Amino acid sequence: MIWEVFRQEQAGEYHTHCGNVHAPDREMALMFAEIQHGRRKPTNSLWVVPQKEIGEVDTEEANFGGTTDKSYRWAQSYSFEAAAEEVADSESEQVQAERQRGDD
Amino acid sequence: MDIEQVKERAGPREFSPKDDLPEEYRKAATRMIQFHANSEIMGAYLEKPFIRQAPSLDRKLAFSAKVQDEIGHGQLLYRAAESLGVKTRDEMLDELAEGKGKFLNCFHYPMDSWVETPMIAFFVDGAAMRRQATLKQSSWEPYAHAMDKVCFEEGFHVKHGEAILYELMTGSKKEQELTQEAFEEWWPRIIQFFGPTDDKSTHHDFSADVGLKTMTNDELRNAFLNAYVPKAEKYGLEIPDEPRIRDNGDSTYEVVEDDLDWDEFFTIAKNDYDPGKGQIDGRKQAQDAVEWVRETLDSHEQRFAGGTQPQAAD
Repeated sequence: MIWEVFRQEQAGEYHTHCGNVHAPDREMALMFAEIQHGRRKPTNSLWVVPQKEIGEVDTEEANFGGTTDKSYRWAQSYSFEAAAEEVADSESEQVQAERQRGDD
Repeated sequence: MDIEQVKERAGPREFSPKDDLPEEYRKAATRMIQFHANSEIMGAYLEKPFIRQAPSLDRKLAFSAKVQDEIGHGQLLYRAAESLGVKTRDEMLDELAEGKGKFLNCFHYPMDSWVETPMIAFFVDGAAMRRQATLKQSSWEPYAHAMDKVCFEEGFHVKHGEAILYELMTGSKKEQELTQEAFEEWWPRIIQFFGPTDDKSTHHDFSADVGLKTMTNDELRNAFLNAYVPKAEKYGLEIPDEPRIRDNGDSTYEVVEDDLDWDEFFTIAKNDYDPGKGQIDGRKQAQDAVEWVRETLDSHEQRFAGGTQPQAAD
């Protein structure tokens, strides 16, 4: 039986997927996870989840982010020189936000 | 804290809800932020009909996003005002519906035609953004914090407004003429956006002393003219002869105040201008029409929160 493993580095952070282990039950899955995934990297907590319990939807079935092109919402889509300093500041904040989208 | 201590400590983002602030400060800040919040809402209502009248799908999407943003700004600002503990958000919305809440002069005028939209979306929003950028330094921290998000979004509004102006001024001769006419009508109102010159302003001294605002009407008007007059000229708009504006040659200007209609301005300031009354009533009808939604949400909240009050603004 395959168990997917999620590791949390520090208290309060998200558990993120880091791999899987083969084990007959939850207790042994946790033990193997501790050995294989909690030994070398900083770890505060581990989750194990039976692989068949995980649901998935991917790009073949879904349009992530919707189908509408929302570039109209960004100042940088309008190719005019910013009228004033504060308009330019807002635009660079938006450029930054667009670049970082999905990173959080 | 007494008022002298407030003046001594006053600085950018210096005061927050954990400070014990005198009533005079809390009332002045409430008046200022409530005015700002009301203006966001009334501006959105003025522009709302143009979502339907937008000439293309792109414009419709962008205009709708912008109007939605402005309503959001209003909500952020009511929260910043609410956290002063003087008035609740509901009280402020009711005051606006009853014609007691004050808001920007420009949003009391009717807007009938698409050619007028860049007057708000480029010039008035540009003027507002100039002012809002300086309010990131306001001493009431929740207000300055709200300005971070407002200014983040506002760059899109101003540039979208500029795109509409560009489109109209490179369109048919008829479009160019109508846009020029709209500009002539709106220009004095836009100049009055910044209020009377400093020697006539009533509220500035106290607000400046306690750090609520950091720039005077004249400084803001100068900065606006320096940035937006060249833009207007670039797109082929002619600046009207009146009000006379003297360029002092050192990035400052003098506006001949007698060329502006201050009777109308102060009639508007009292919510006594007829078209403005129409705008107020129009929004009141919308507020009344969704009363049942607020009631449903309130009773839902009370059932699940055991009747406790909603959390204060974060």
